[in-house]
Amino acid sequence: MIERRSVLRAMGWAGMGLLLEKSRLAGAVFPGSESPFAFEELLPVTSGISWVHTSGKSPDMYLPETVGAGCAFLDYDNDGWMDIYLVNSGPSDFYTPPKPLRNALYRNNRDGTFTDVTLAAGVPGNAYGMGVAVGDYDGDGFPDLFLTQYQHSILYHNNGDGTFTDVTAKAGVACPGWGSSAVWFDYDNDGRLDLFVCRFVEFSKATNRQCGLGVEHHRAYCSPAVFTPAPCGLYHNNGDGTFTDVSKESGISKPLAKAWGVVAADINNDGGMDLFVGNDMVPNFLFINKGKGRFEETGALAGVGYSGLGTARSGMGVDAADYDQDGWVDLFVANIDHQSYSLYHNTRDESFSDAANEVGLAAATWLLSGWGVKFFDYDNDGNLDLLVANGHPDLMVEQQFPNVNYLEPMLLFQNTGAGFKNVSAESGPAFSKKLAARGLALGDFDNDGGVDVLISQNNGPPVLMRNKVGSRNHWLGVCLVGKKANIDAVGAKLTYKAGELQRHIFKVGGGSYLSAHDSRVVLGLGSKSKIDWLEIQWPKPSERIERFTSLPIDRYITIVEGQGKALQL
Amino acid sequence: MAELKPGILVRLSLSGAQILVCIALLAVWVLAQAPVSSPSAGPSSLVDRGIDLAAKGRCEEALPLLKRLADDSDKQLKYRAQLATARCAIKRKDGHATVTTLLALRHEYPKDPEVLYLTTQVFLKIAEEASQDLARIAPDSYQILELEAETLESQNKWPEAAATYRKILEKDPKLPNIHFRLGRAVLAQPETQATTEEARKEFEQELTIDSTNAAAEFWLGEISRRDGHWAEAIPHYTSALKLDPTYPEAMLALGMTFNSDGRFADAIKPLEGYTKTVPQDPAGHYQLAMAYARTGRKQDSVREMALQQQLSEKNQAPPSPDNTEPR
Repeated sequence: MIERRSVLRAMGWAGMGLLLEKSRLAGAVFPGSESPFAFEELLPVTSGISWVHTSGKSPDMYLPETVGAGCAFLDYDNDGWMDIYLVNSGPSDFYTPPKPLRNALYRNNRDGTFTDVTLAAGVPGNAYGMGVAVGDYDGDGFPDLFLTQYQHSILYHNNGDGTFTDVTAKAGVACPGWGSSAVWFDYDNDGRLDLFVCRFVEFSKATNRQCGLGVEHHRAYCSPAVFTPAPCGLYHNNGDGTFTDVSKESGISKPLAKAWGVVAADINNDGGMDLFVGNDMVPNFLFINKGKGRFEETGALAGVGYSGLGTARSGMGVDAADYDQDGWVDLFVANIDHQSYSLYHNTRDESFSDAANEVGLAAATWLLSGWGVKFFDYDNDGNLDLLVANGHPDLMVEQQFPNVNYLEPMLLFQNTGAGFKNVSAESGPAFSKKLAARGLALGDFDNDGGVDVLISQNNGPPVLMRNKVGSRNHWLGVCLVGKKANIDAVGAKLTYKAGELQRHIFKVGGGSYLSAHDSRVVLGLGSKSKIDWLEIQWPKPSERIERFTSLPIDRYITIVEGQGKALQL
Repeated sequence: MAELKPGILVRLSLSGAQILVCIALLAVWVLAQAPVSSPSAGPSSLVDRGIDLAAKGRCEEALPLLKRLADDSDKQLKYRAQLATARCAIKRKDGHATVTTLLALRHEYPKDPEVLYLTTQVFLKIAEEASQDLARIAPDSYQILELEAETLESQNKWPEAAATYRKILEKDPKLPNIHFRLGRAVLAQPETQATTEEARKEFEQELTIDSTNAAAEFWLGEISRRDGHWAEAIPHYTSALKLDPTYPEAMLALGMTFNSDGRFADAIKPLEGYTKTVPQDPAGHYQLAMAYARTGRKQDSVREMALQQQLSEKNQAPPSPDNTEPR
């Protein structure tokens, strides 16, 4: 079986290489305005992305209506250009769309425009869609799609010819109930991508509650407090296209969740991927990977479950990154208004301290409600910055709190090395737009080294933003292909040195909210015009460490585990 | 204070705290002078008659009858008679009788809406008159400005309150408690490096004037803690607790800061103090659970975490279905 997978991987990689060579990836320059800002919004008339999310908002205020949906950057056809996937609502027990709704797959035309190929690809979704997770679970070199939905999820297998097949039933990952975020990662270090699925609450049309202030015209979406929590799911990849539900024996389903976001990262540097789950009105979970397929939930005592005052906040989007470069992965959670977002600094003993106040994030986020969130080096100066997509879930919130809005702007924080500076105001007009933002995906769709941003809105059009500032510094884009390690190299550590600049990046699984990202890693070099070396520490079971020198800059390379060389594309 | 006319003060709404202080001070004074009640009692019908007369505004005739109320009278009759007495006292502008009767009513019927309403109305009136007198008698005094600033604080008008405190300090920079209140008003505004620094300076200044101000020490600790400067925060909280060993917020903050600094053993004492003082707050139990867990006291940690979860769940209990709160 292993041999077959290796062959498939190699074939997939080879196919991808051929396509990439044709497309001439590096330093693509598209026509456009000479915006002085870091980000420039590409309007639908320019991008060709005319799809709009429909929530199906009803007088009965079913909670799923206000929380979706997600988005993704993925290279579904392996041509080296990031395509876009957008999740929509759909039929369910509480919603019958007046006209058919579908998700959207947009193929990148390599010129700043996109073409809707959803129906040809066969990935429309088939229920009330929530999120998307991208991973090559069968190691054939083509990314597969897992869609979370209410009332069941879907696994779309990428056939490698531009089409997908719904393999949910065969794979055994329908995940009944209300799935939210999901992540592909290798929890048992067998080299295969397993699947973790967040579930929010037990929900159905029949059990929907009437919430509000007691009068009909004040009806509002219910607080999660009125719903029964639900267990999250963990599915072990059997390596034959099927999965085994190991939620119970792994300890994952023991604590009941109201989970929105998940990120997989090795928080204690022991080589086992841990999970951080953002919960709404119940404590966040930190699942420490104890090995042998077992997890222990330690969020409360690790200092990430509750606020410092011992109350569960409304955690939504989450992410993980070593923002301060001390060698330990830190955690971030976006909460609801009047709670501030949390930046949990890793104190290196499986516990964390909330540093949101001291780095300047708490005050800036006090009145906001955050969903999509991701650390990334938007200006390629070598420091990991932070982007958060915001929007309050309650349409009526302005009646309750005049200083809180339903539509909210995004926030971009620049990592100065001493803290985070709110640079939203000077980063482009898109940052002053009020959005009902939910999902946030990162991906360099124009391959210029500046990581671009895709935001999905609830009941509205997506927002696509081109990064105009990343390519003003030097950079190196790296696509990692695991052989013994999982093919997506989730859990790898990339360390690089350029002059006095030495940095490392942990490749985490998932992060954000209902969304998935470009699997390539962009290393910011600042003004350094040469990279001295790059070291890859492949995740278990490989644990191989490879060091590369004489690397090019300002372009993408691919490193296949164990080949000892970087392929320039 | 030349620009502040008495008429302006009439419009100032007094904060709840100010009213409570008024009530407490008056209560002490009134109760000290209260006459011993007469054991004699008249028939209920006479008291009823007094109540009727009072309702018609014939207080001169009503009051002698209302005084016939016996100690063992029917509770409802007592309540009605006391209310009638209070209303007559208000009508006759008999401040002493008004306050005495209202305080007695407050004591006996602490949850009665009519009693609460009448008490609020009377004490607001007293406070309003006192503030008018203050404006008339000492229009340029710092007390007028202080009253104005406190009113602005109660309306969450923090920049205006801060500006008023600054005016007081222009008059007398060494007045106690004003630098402290200015610092707090500055901190209540949107946080910037400049506001934090200004607040810090004001609290420090306060301590040079009044070295016993525990709250100023506490807020200096808070500023350092917010910035993640644990080592700077700890001495401030410690000083606050030396000045006021019963200061619950300082106990919690000191414990939390010790925990953040990894000094879990040191965190236990202040947190145990806090959980004894404020047992209903999940924050104390949560922090104490972490301190116990990190010092090997697993059972104690489990107990505290259970308490924390119990209290948190109680605070977040689902509202009833017919009036469910939105997010």
